[in-house]
Amino acid sequence: MEYNCADSSVTLCRSCDLVISKRALPSGVRALCPRCHTTLYDTPYCSINGMLALCLTALIFFIPANLLPVLELHFLGSIRTTTTIEGAMAVANQGYWIVAIAVLVSAVIAPGLLLISVLTQILIIKYRLNVPFFREVLKRLLRFHELITQLSMLEIYMISIFISVFQLTDYTDIYLGMGTFCFAMLFLVTLFLQREYHIEHMWNIIDE
Amino acid sequence: MSKVSQKQQGKDLGLTLCPSCQQLSVYKKRHCSRCGSVLALRDDSSLQKSWALLITAAILLIPANIYPITIFTSQGQTRHDTIFTGITHLVDLNIIPIAIILFTASIAVPILKIVGLTIYLTAISFRLPISKKKLMIGFHIIEWIGRWSMLDLFVISITAALVNMGQLLDARPGPAATAFALVILLTQVAAKVLDTRLLWDRLESKDDSN
Repeated sequence: MEYNCADSSVTLCRSCDLVISKRALPSGVRALCPRCHTTLYDTPYCSINGMLALCLTALIFFIPANLLPVLELHFLGSIRTTTTIEGAMAVANQGYWIVAIAVLVSAVIAPGLLLISVLTQILIIKYRLNVPFFREVLKRLLRFHELITQLSMLEIYMISIFISVFQLTDYTDIYLGMGTFCFAMLFLVTLFLQREYHIEHMWNIIDE
Repeated sequence: MSKVSQKQQGKDLGLTLCPSCQQLSVYKKRHCSRCGSVLALRDDSSLQKSWALLITAAILLIPANIYPITIFTSQGQTRHDTIFTGITHLVDLNIIPIAIILFTASIAVPILKIVGLTIYLTAISFRLPISKKKLMIGFHIIEWIGRWSMLDLFVISITAALVNMGQLLDARPGPAATAFALVILLTQVAAKVLDTRLLWDRLESKDDSN
């Protein structure tokens, strides 16, 4: 049995392969698979300019968040500070490079790539660069988007910072640095950016 | 629309979703018309891959819990903490909320993940009569919660960089850290590679309504 693919009134559940007839949804409502409760689709709407603003703000916070110390430790008159990258390096120097790579990728590299990737996508769409080269770039970025999102774990790093503070206050004085503020802002702005961003909508733009 | 009856699988119609851009395609075309990815009705080898990754992770969970994960020196006294003793130490210090968070992220989540994925994979491999709907909901939870185990590794890296003053106060990661990192990585990939559509093909159709 064959089916006409141009008929977009039908979709499949990606978890259980059930055939589902699509219906129009009001905004803010998600369709779930009736059989296995996987999210199927919603009505995506992204404001390109809003995303651009969020993306640029996030990039501005990204640099100080990674260069300024996130925590300061005051111990017997000496002050020690650490940044995310120094933390990873300290672990690597002890020989635990798998841990170091995990920390670097999920707290620095993936969030950075995510922001750069979204910025590139937005710029290509906003300025309608309909050259085959840019379309190809856009497709590549969209294909890797899910992977990068899964690897970026800013929210978990944010909570680790606070847990470290609680654990160490027993031994010494701990102060939050300017880097912590930038990191928290980076986390918040990225959170809003990801709420605004819908991969399905981006794919639909390629179709147009 | 009359062709689409209740409980019909995309496979029966020769339709499939593109694995990377989720566009509906006719399977005959082999490549997605929108993004060029290779199409597949089912990924049968994914079950094997997932089992292999899961078993490796389960083995690594043992050293991750037996060996010390942090080596802490304070006033010349060195303490080797495994994940568990580290948490009991926090309870002794009366930092209960942090202890609960770390217990959930470092002990409960990895174990639940491995047990959950084992049940899930056994159900597919041996056609166990367990409600598919419940299995699927459990699988979504496992997928989502797994990354929170990274918490402990982040804390270790921050502490190791910050607390580094020789005999007076010093914190270093222990041998369990690598094993623990690999457990998180492998279980995460094991859930990722699995083609969940296999569950709905392989179980007896009478369990469908469960």
